[in-house]
Amino acid sequence: MALHSCSSVMCVDKLTVGVGSKTVLKDVSFSVDRGSILFLLGPNGTGKTSLLRTLIGYPGYSVVSGRILFEGEDITHSSMEYRVSKGLAISHQIPPKLTGVRVVDLLNSICRRTGCSVDEIADELEIGYLLNREFGKGFSGGELKRIEIATVVAQRPKLALIDEPDSGVDVDSIAVIAKALKKLVDLSTYKSIIVITHSAAIAKHIRPTHVCIMLSGSVRLCGDDSILDEVFNYGFKGVAK
Amino acid sequence: MGLREWRNRIAEEAKQGLDRPSPYGMDIDVGSYVGEESGYRLDTESVERVGVDLKAKALYLQVDQAYFKYISRIPGVEIYRLEDYIESYPDEAKEYVWRLLRPSMDKYVAVAALRGMGGYFIRVKKNTRVEDPIMACLFISSHGLQAPHNVVIVEDGAEATVYTGCTIAPEVVGLHIGLSEFYVGRNAKLRFVMVHSWNRVAHVRPRTAVNVSENGEYISYYANLSNLKSLQMYPRVYLGSGAHAYLASIVLGVGDADIDIGSGAVLEDGDSGVEIVSRNIARDSSRIVMRASIVGRGGRGHIDCRGLMLSNSSVIATIPELHAESPDAILTHEASIGRLAEDEIYYLMSKGFTRDEAIGILVRGFVSIDIKGIPDKVRSYIETIERLTTEKAM
Repeated sequence: MALHSCSSVMCVDKLTVGVGSKTVLKDVSFSVDRGSILFLLGPNGTGKTSLLRTLIGYPGYSVVSGRILFEGEDITHSSMEYRVSKGLAISHQIPPKLTGVRVVDLLNSICRRTGCSVDEIADELEIGYLLNREFGKGFSGGELKRIEIATVVAQRPKLALIDEPDSGVDVDSIAVIAKALKKLVDLSTYKSIIVITHSAAIAKHIRPTHVCIMLSGSVRLCGDDSILDEVFNYGFKGVAK
Repeated sequence: MGLREWRNRIAEEAKQGLDRPSPYGMDIDVGSYVGEESGYRLDTESVERVGVDLKAKALYLQVDQAYFKYISRIPGVEIYRLEDYIESYPDEAKEYVWRLLRPSMDKYVAVAALRGMGGYFIRVKKNTRVEDPIMACLFISSHGLQAPHNVVIVEDGAEATVYTGCTIAPEVVGLHIGLSEFYVGRNAKLRFVMVHSWNRVAHVRPRTAVNVSENGEYISYYANLSNLKSLQMYPRVYLGSGAHAYLASIVLGVGDADIDIGSGAVLEDGDSGVEIVSRNIARDSSRIVMRASIVGRGGRGHIDCRGLMLSNSSVIATIPELHAESPDAILTHEASIGRLAEDEIYYLMSKGFTRDEAIGILVRGFVSIDIKGIPDKVRSYIETIERLTTEKAM
């Protein structure tokens, strides 16, 4: 992919990233087009979370080489604050517990900025009963995931980056989360989203338009949603060999 | 014993304590504050900043040791200046005044006993439930000593909230020694909110003791919102059978403040309980010692002390003590000190907050204490205090 000709929503070109002295991503390239529901699949520990964190500009992830373009702008070395203000948002795989911070207060603070409705989001993600609880404290896997996705819905991003929405989550919660992901696609200016998953359980509820396979810190294969079926049949290594 | 004789006895006992330093906190020369009082001036803006409503239905206002005003328009609530109460009800007064505190306890109490003036007497009559907070303000406007002696009696089955705001004019060198003796009757409930906002040269030495009778409940919420030179206090709560207490303190150390603060409780039997919660934030080069102690002759007690370091030159120490005097006592404590977690700050920044906003959210969360069963009005005061503390901490 030649970056100067990139007209996609997001283009990632030959990205190599280190955390401390360790290289966690090597020569990663892919792009996200308008209307693209991109699933990044790969086994645990293959660098999927590192990739999303690098895209959002999370501190500690150093780009050694390569570039990231969002809406045609090179954001490779932009701060996380800037990238979020540009319309990127991340759903963390495991958000931290925020002592004393009630869920409703955090959502209210985000909604004051974006104009969203906390009640509406609470209904959509079935988290009304969690609003007055401390953020992340004593939540089940499904509850934690729904709360985290709720913060992203509240941000109304142009492009959401979703990390493992289906890991450690009960079946009922996956359906609710999938509905929220569809909403994030609707909210997206480009009707696009990036979803990371190692089990692809979420695919039962929301079908990708594009699928990339990651192995050992690199994107090995990208294509249409038929790759998903091959993964289920042959496993990651069988598909990406 | 006549009133004069009683007063003489108190004075004699106090003299024995004049050279006795407090076992805790910075030692200060109280002599330099005695006899310096001059004219007073009430600064209503400062008073309102600590949340006191001067138009409250029930109010006690004291400026220095010179101006006193008190009024109660709430049926079943009596308010007096303590001296006026003692003069009016001398026999009864002897049952409540200097019963929980000893005049010779330390030199601060001794000086207050000998040279103090004013302080409120508040009585909430039997089975009276008071919705509106009873307000009290103790304001220092000029150099010198302010040593009020407060007595609160919530009689059997009664319920009330006492809100006290203590503050000082800028740059006034003052020593505040507030003595407080509280009595919570059987099945009664007292919520006591105290907000301090001093200046960088003020010394503060409150001395408080509380007696909670059978099945009574005492909820205390203390907050120090601003700078001061030194603060030392260690209130004690005695809980009778079936009585419960929740003792919360939010302390902000700013500048070079030297703060030594704690709460202590004595549990009488297996049905009594106490929870001591402390949140301390150290900024600049402040030093904070957080103390807490529970003596259990039964019952359940828990201490939760947390310290947040917001600078590299501040110091926080926690000293929790549990004393079980019966195998029936179940006593626990948890304590932690640290800085804000960078990962939590980054997390919030990933949600679109600036770094300062993220820190503000986390500090606000740190000082937030979920006190069960308090009226909405009190909760709104506490939320205001939490907001002010967060703003001052930043």
